[in-house]
Amino acid sequence: MRLNIAVVLLLCCGPVAVSAQTAQQEKTINLPAGISVEAASISRTGNLIATICSDHVVRVWSARSGELLRSLDENREPPSALQFSGDGRLLGVAYEIVGYEKGVIKVFDTDSWKVQHAFADSLPMYSLTFSPDGLRLAGAGDFDTNVWELASRKKAATISPPFGSSSSISFSPDGRWLASADGDAFVRVHDANSGSMRSATKDLLLEPMTVAFSPDGNWLLTGGADKTISMIDPDNGKVLRAFPKQPGLVWSLDVSADGKQAAAVYRSAERFLDINQLALWDLAKGTAIADFQKPGVTIVGGAFVGDHYLFTAASGNELTVWSIQ
Amino acid sequence: MLTRRDILHKSVALGSVVIASHFSADAMLAAFQEKEKQLRKPTPPNPLGPFYKRLTPMKDMLCAPGDRGMPLTLSGRVFNTRGDVVPDATIEIWQTNHQGYYDLDGYRYRGKLQVNKSGGYRFESVIPGHYPDKSRICQHVHYVVVAPGLKTLVTQLYFATDPVFEGDPTKNYARDPLIETPELIRPVMLTGDPNEVHAEVQFELCLEHL
Repeated sequence: MRLNIAVVLLLCCGPVAVSAQTAQQEKTINLPAGISVEAASISRTGNLIATICSDHVVRVWSARSGELLRSLDENREPPSALQFSGDGRLLGVAYEIVGYEKGVIKVFDTDSWKVQHAFADSLPMYSLTFSPDGLRLAGAGDFDTNVWELASRKKAATISPPFGSSSSISFSPDGRWLASADGDAFVRVHDANSGSMRSATKDLLLEPMTVAFSPDGNWLLTGGADKTISMIDPDNGKVLRAFPKQPGLVWSLDVSADGKQAAAVYRSAERFLDINQLALWDLAKGTAIADFQKPGVTIVGGAFVGDHYLFTAASGNELTVWSIQ
Repeated sequence: MLTRRDILHKSVALGSVVIASHFSADAMLAAFQEKEKQLRKPTPPNPLGPFYKRLTPMKDMLCAPGDRGMPLTLSGRVFNTRGDVVPDATIEIWQTNHQGYYDLDGYRYRGKLQVNKSGGYRFESVIPGHYPDKSRICQHVHYVVVAPGLKTLVTQLYFATDPVFEGDPTKNYARDPLIETPELIRPVMLTGDPNEVHAEVQFELCLEHL
């Protein structure tokens, strides 16, 4: 209902900047002229924001002051994905090696900003995630998803859907399982060590675009082109619960540390490039408790930090940092 | 410069090709050359896209009577890289309507069929529209082709008439960031009369062996 009211308000008042009562603009970061942000990752410690910029440079900012802390210019190879580890001590960045259909992943130490690990034996990766203990890294590319052990730099598992690729991946809290939202309209859970499949949901028809494990590992949250958020049992792939009638394609999901809330970012089904709407859901009640919509911006990353959800919105050479309680 | 035929004759003379047949060397080399020609290049893959829908019904008529848009016939055959037709392939396609919208609720402009004994297929539809978001994505039809013993092909067909190419797809194909080769851009043949014009596009598909 609250979402509907927000939409009505938007229609009545034109391009109102923010429809949610609790969204607070925390910071505005101005990038160099002509440079825009294409993707971002926020550390769960709430202090760092890493951005993929249009000039192929990864810039890291202080989330608190907005100060530029570091520019990671790795020979201007285009970055294709980036993600902080859970403790914020590592930043993984996937790069495409143009002209060779190859990719490389570099893992930076966020204290020294030196490359701690590099994995060059893959195709370009478009989604990255660290295991909660920070010991493994998974990357999903056009065909395969790979899991690497950081210490040994060995590939632990390669997982491939029958066709298409995985657009989103998530480790279980104990790091044993890897869930994937696959283009052939399945959510699958694989053993992250052996690559063997634990479950595949048959209850979806359209592509899931995002997947996230609950903090206790007992359920998964997924959403996608069917404009529904579904809670899935990772043991058997069955949908336990569904929150239908989302305002758009569910583009990304994040679950709070206590498992009580989820943040959903939406992509417009009509104007596919528009990613400017977000809602915070109370999972027990199945209701949206806060929302945000701002025409003209693109929501490029977010994370639960303590008791609030921090996210970034890009527009031109400006990046704004927002929080929702 | 030596022709392929010269090289084959030289190979026979040097013993790197041995002909064990009662037919003449000329006839055997000609047959060999002919067979070589049948080797086909696999169809380039292209992303699956975010609007694939499972359990698409078996049908070759994707549009309904009275649908707006330019009527379109898509046809072709399925081969393997040896040049043999693949009679047991299944082709699934999906696309937007003429305004650039996918049907997410039902199966309009989505269909699947089993190819015939000659590896042939034919779908009736309309030319898809551009996405309404003014992105640089060209008009396209998604394909997934599955056949036993062959690698599943995920690709897309594009139209040479797309205004984005300005009449020269070979030169301008990269204007769409997803198109890596002009091979996926197919010529469009217009048939009928000006009052009832109809577009026909042929798209031959070649699958790699596992």
